[in-house]
Amino acid sequence: MRLEIGYRETWLHRINPSLKLLVMLAIFIAVLFVHNPNVLANLAVALLLLFFICTGYPLKYLLLFFLPFLVIFVSTASSMTLFGEGKTTWFQWGLIHITEESFLRGMHLGFRALTFALLGLIFSLTTRPVYLFYSLMQQLKLKPKYAYSFLAGIRLIPIILEEFQTVQNALKVRGAAQVGIFEKIKRYAIPLLSQSIRRAQRIAVAMEAKRFSSGMARTFYYEISFSKYDIVFIFSMAGIIVLAYCVGTILPYVPVVDVR
Amino acid sequence: MQASKGLKLADILITVVISIVFGIVYKLWGPFYYFVKPFGLHIDQLVYGMWFIAATVAFLIIRKPGVALLAEIAASSGEFIAGSEWGLEVLIYGVVQGLLAEIVFAAFRYKRFDVLVVSLAAIGSTIGSLVMDFYKGYIEALAPWNLALFLLARFVGAVLISGVFASSLVKALEATGVTQMVRSASKEDYEQLNR
Repeated sequence: MRLEIGYRETWLHRINPSLKLLVMLAIFIAVLFVHNPNVLANLAVALLLLFFICTGYPLKYLLLFFLPFLVIFVSTASSMTLFGEGKTTWFQWGLIHITEESFLRGMHLGFRALTFALLGLIFSLTTRPVYLFYSLMQQLKLKPKYAYSFLAGIRLIPIILEEFQTVQNALKVRGAAQVGIFEKIKRYAIPLLSQSIRRAQRIAVAMEAKRFSSGMARTFYYEISFSKYDIVFIFSMAGIIVLAYCVGTILPYVPVVDVR
Repeated sequence: MQASKGLKLADILITVVISIVFGIVYKLWGPFYYFVKPFGLHIDQLVYGMWFIAATVAFLIIRKPGVALLAEIAASSGEFIAGSEWGLEVLIYGVVQGLLAEIVFAAFRYKRFDVLVVSLAAIGSTIGSLVMDFYKGYIEALAPWNLALFLLARFVGAVLISGVFASSLVKALEATGVTQMVRSASKEDYEQLNR
């Protein structure tokens, strides 16, 4: 998505996109079953290092991308910290009831949100959508009619954004009255959706007129395959996880192994 | 062209493009969601329902099996590729939410398109999101009064946004005539011809 920002291509960019997606999904599901805050904190820090060192973007952009995650961290951690159940009370004021258990659980949730966010951001910063869908077709046998629909859809995003601007300007020129949020969404959504539907319909007709079909064997403009970087990636991810687990259990920061 | 065997290219393309519009909305909804979060008492949960809207709107427009699931997956992929603050989890949430909405539409054999069914689909998606939250967010460990408020806010928000608002949005779209070229001809249309 962020091709307009200059970046250096690193080994993370050269991994097979399907493999990268599957490995990251596997880590995602594994993290759902981690209840030890020490292990999770280590994992989050390791991914943070990977994010800052290996994605190949200038530091100021990385910091900019990272900013919303801090907000997510605080907002995810806060409601469990303030309202979670627990036994050892630290602070109580009206409905707010902070306990040791709820605080640790809140921190754990914060680190978990951070881990998921980093996995996603590392993926989207180092993967070109075009290669992703070509790889999904070639390695995971995604049907071409789905893959090309997504590719066409992604190509339409700039046009949709431009139309959004046009509607905004048109409303401004006509001096449209201030309205509530849902009325406002409707004002933008109706023209944007109807134009998008018409455009999608035209693309589909054009593709079928040019004999696009899923039936026969296809050749691909981009041939995506595996390389040595895929092995590097699998081993480094496995290394990070094993290291996070060992350090978290041998040298814990807090003497809690399960926050539930 | 392969007739009636699953979704046609046009159906898929239109679903995906609609969903990408919503994917952008989903992405922009993130900052709004954590903007209202500090107000506390789960007011943020009232706006959570926006993340289920792609499934219901796309189904109401195209009215075919599989559209709700595809739409929610496409919208969450759009959000993901645009660099969502929640990263990978939006993809999984999208699949689960879309699946539950799809099951509701399937339960009515894809034949009913009224506010009630759409609201039920929104409730289905909400349950999907709660299942994920149960694993991810330990929501059961919230104090009981707080959990009740959380659930109530999310269900009400989902029905209002992805149920009632989604149907009114599609009604307005129908007025533009654009849905006519998307939907397959209905029984009434054929009866009109025979008259």
